[in-house]
Amino acid sequence: MTNVALPRNTTRQAEAMLYGGVARRLHQVSGVVIIVFVLVHVIVQAVWHVPMFASAKAAAPWLQALQEQNWVHAILFFCIAFHTFYGLKLFAGELGYSFHYKTAFWAIVGVSALFGLREVLRYAGI
Amino acid sequence: MPTDIKLRAEIRRYDPAVDAQPRYETYEVAGQDNWRVLDVIRSIYEHQAGDLAYQFACRVGRCGTCGVKVNGVPVLACQERCKPEMRIEPLTPFPVLRDLVVDRSEVEARYEQHALAPQRATAYAGGPEAIEPQLAEALCHMNSCLACMVCVSGCPAVAERAFDGPAFILKLRHMAKHPADTGTRLAQAVDAGMLECFGCDLCTQLCPADLSPAQAIREFRREIILGGSATHD
Repeated sequence: MTNVALPRNTTRQAEAMLYGGVARRLHQVSGVVIIVFVLVHVIVQAVWHVPMFASAKAAAPWLQALQEQNWVHAILFFCIAFHTFYGLKLFAGELGYSFHYKTAFWAIVGVSALFGLREVLRYAGI
Repeated sequence: MPTDIKLRAEIRRYDPAVDAQPRYETYEVAGQDNWRVLDVIRSIYEHQAGDLAYQFACRVGRCGTCGVKVNGVPVLACQERCKPEMRIEPLTPFPVLRDLVVDRSEVEARYEQHALAPQRATAYAGGPEAIEPQLAEALCHMNSCLACMVCVSGCPAVAERAFDGPAFILKLRHMAKHPADTGTRLAQAVDAGMLECFGCDLCTQLCPADLSPAQAIREFRREIILGGSATHD
């Protein structure tokens, strides 16, 4: 912490991105995405592999195509990574470790984006 | 050099004694791009709406009385640079006395309830007390909270849960760090809803005094998990 110097520069807070608000919203959305994925994944696996649901499998040929979309995997991996890292950051905070909110936000978004990008590149064969 | 600009300010007007519902009134102001939000409000008051209620004192960001929401973000009106399009509202979640003036009596009652003076084991002997310079500096900095309620207004946990707000926890942490204080500040902080904090650091970003109430909350929470004493941080 540093002492306040007067006079302060004018602020532009109403124009700035509220990092904490965005991070919190992303944390919520990524959590929902993960839960929805797990539920859908269980249902899809059942449709594919359980003979009782063979008619449902035949009626939904798009399931296979959807499963193979690189953007679906990219979003999912981004969400998993963001949710994990932001959760760890919050947990570290509980233990007294603090990170600057702006640095932490961009670091977590950046690392999570790398996970998403990796999926895109993997599908592109790179 | 400042440039002349046209500003459009939409102000939430509400007098509970007269109006059934709040309304928004739009004002066009000829100003300059280096004006603060408070300059715009004062111009509107002087030239267009003499009945507009607003509050300010120091104009240099030290008194904390001119807090308002600009485009949904709580700021000090005397510090925030004006924008060409602004929606100016009173701070939430406080009851509105009139227009941009909020009732701070509950805030004052909370401060009083927390007994924010050192609770001493023995009577104050008088005179200055020995204190480590590093701790004294930290205490002085924490004591620079303006009580402007900008952090409370911006806190999502205050809006959604039973949480008094970051400003009160910061003051409790200030007392917890004070070497002469023997109060149960951690218990007070928990009672004030500290555990409801989301850890989003919005209060730190918004604080006009460059304080970090979120860090005060983290330090209290570390004490809960790992034990330890505030004065040994």
